[in-house]
Amino acid sequence: MGGKAIPKDSLGEFVSKLSERYRIFGPKKRRTEWIFDEVRSAEEMDLQYSTTILPPRKFFVPTHEDLFSFRMEGGIEEPAEPEVRALIFGIHSCDLNALLLLDEVFLGEFPSPSYAKRRENTALVALTCNEVGENCFCESMGTGPSPARGYDVLLTDLGGEYLAEAGSKRGEEILALAKGRPATEGDFDGKAKAIERSKSKFKKKVDLEGIDELFQRNLDNPIWSRLGEKDLACGLCVNSCPTCFCFDVRDRLNFPMDSGARYKEWDACVLLEFSQVALGGNFRRDRAARIRQFIGHNLGWGGASQFREFKGKAKCVGCGRCIRYCPAGIDLTEVAEELRGR
Amino acid sequence: MRLENPYLAQECAIERLKRQTPDVYTYTVSYAKGPHRLRTPFRPGQFIMISIPGVGEAPFSFSAWDEGEATFDTTIRVVGNVTSMLGRKGVGQTVWVRGPYGRGWPMEEAKGKDILLVAGGIGMAPLRPVIDIVAKDRGDYGGLEILYGAKTPEDLLFSDEFDSWRAIPDAELLLTVDSVPKGVEWDHSVGVVTTLFDKMRTEPNGSIVMTCGPEIMMKFVVRGLSAMGFRPKDLYLSLERRMKCGIAQCGHCQIGPKFVCRDGPVFPYSELRGLPDLIV
Repeated sequence: MGGKAIPKDSLGEFVSKLSERYRIFGPKKRRTEWIFDEVRSAEEMDLQYSTTILPPRKFFVPTHEDLFSFRMEGGIEEPAEPEVRALIFGIHSCDLNALLLLDEVFLGEFPSPSYAKRRENTALVALTCNEVGENCFCESMGTGPSPARGYDVLLTDLGGEYLAEAGSKRGEEILALAKGRPATEGDFDGKAKAIERSKSKFKKKVDLEGIDELFQRNLDNPIWSRLGEKDLACGLCVNSCPTCFCFDVRDRLNFPMDSGARYKEWDACVLLEFSQVALGGNFRRDRAARIRQFIGHNLGWGGASQFREFKGKAKCVGCGRCIRYCPAGIDLTEVAEELRGR
Repeated sequence: MRLENPYLAQECAIERLKRQTPDVYTYTVSYAKGPHRLRTPFRPGQFIMISIPGVGEAPFSFSAWDEGEATFDTTIRVVGNVTSMLGRKGVGQTVWVRGPYGRGWPMEEAKGKDILLVAGGIGMAPLRPVIDIVAKDRGDYGGLEILYGAKTPEDLLFSDEFDSWRAIPDAELLLTVDSVPKGVEWDHSVGVVTTLFDKMRTEPNGSIVMTCGPEIMMKFVVRGLSAMGFRPKDLYLSLERRMKCGIAQCGHCQIGPKFVCRDGPVFPYSELRGLPDLIV
């Protein structure tokens, strides 16, 4: 195993070399929170960030996206291929694992050309998380605090230096741009210690043992109606989720109605219209059923069949955003504990 | 290589229109012209996505498929945006089509077995191709029994084909309606479709049941047949859910871990038991 130790004071030069080749998106401080946004230098980034408001999903699955455009007299035109040559700098393990889950949806039997292009043309420089937040529980989901795969480069903060490891051919090319010395066994020990330090900070966890059966047994548990009473059905949980993939498909007509486009836009299972069919029938009319769907999909049956490679794991990667942003204080880790009778 | 955009539809022409009931029409749609994008063969029970540019797209079953003529039939009742606009379309006009998708009726598992079809109203449409196949490959299947219920006699679809269905060797057609308007002649049953269970001859052993209709109807079909000894793995249901993509991405049709578009729309009841948000 190779790897490089990069002095922290050479990070600026490294990022500036990268910016000649890629559009760089990294974690930026915005008031009390962080966001992923375009950066041109290392100084603009805050690599001591906890969790961004929106996950990097927004770069791969835009809120709105044209599937094709059409002319009413006939003729379909495909959208131009997305032109990206981007690099996400400092993505945490939870969000990186989330992209691997989204790959299962959008690169499966019917791959999405635009998603495939964006994934292919976006380099990922991951960062071992040492800023475990109060709502984080990636460790118990098996998705952090340091990723095992899926990155081009993985950085781990060792104090004065970063241990940098390449996870792909592209990653090796990226690392060639960084100044540093070959990593030693001591650096890898340092990484292991950093991971242990992060692990000691988790306050939340989910016990995954038999969790799909646990949900199956508790479909009629009164907890769902109680949560339904609290739930505002605002959709913040879904919009901030790094693995939620649901979308609506709509048609848009351009003035003077001689052309238009079919597009997809983010949708959310917690919204009333989500499961509505013709004549007003609705299979999840009650909020209780909708919050059960959100939590059940994330913790219970999400791992069972939808993400084949991830069988046994869940859709949830433990980033904690849905807990942080829920105005009603719904916490899926507490729900899972309560279902276990704890 | 550029990936194929799975949402691109094929522009297809409406070749024929046939009135089935006052609010249900069968459209014969030709996909002979233009770049061939449809995922043939059409397997009975699968669904297609039909759309009208500027209005939207919706899932539909098909009621017939003619490979040689490169046409399929879809039998549609006007209920929503897309069907309302379809209802204004005539012969020669175009619709957009992609698919078919999903898992259809278990025609392989049914070989050598008796087949019981239980349909309610428009639910007869996706079962009609099953009758076609049994008639064509008659030796492959055992007895065929069709139980069909509708609101009134004039709501029965494909009534001009009933005689040819009855003429299929070893086939039975039992009809029932909820009510008979004054002055209408009716010499079949009156009542919900499950009332026909008393008259049917299909036995639980060695048979496959395929049912389609309102989910509440299928609930009572499953309940009634289970009480008679039919096993959950032999009872196949076609489910309806909201679908925006048809290819297991948009998430609307999820029932617990299942995607109706990918894992269904036809499911054996054994796979549905214990799932949330079902009426059945």
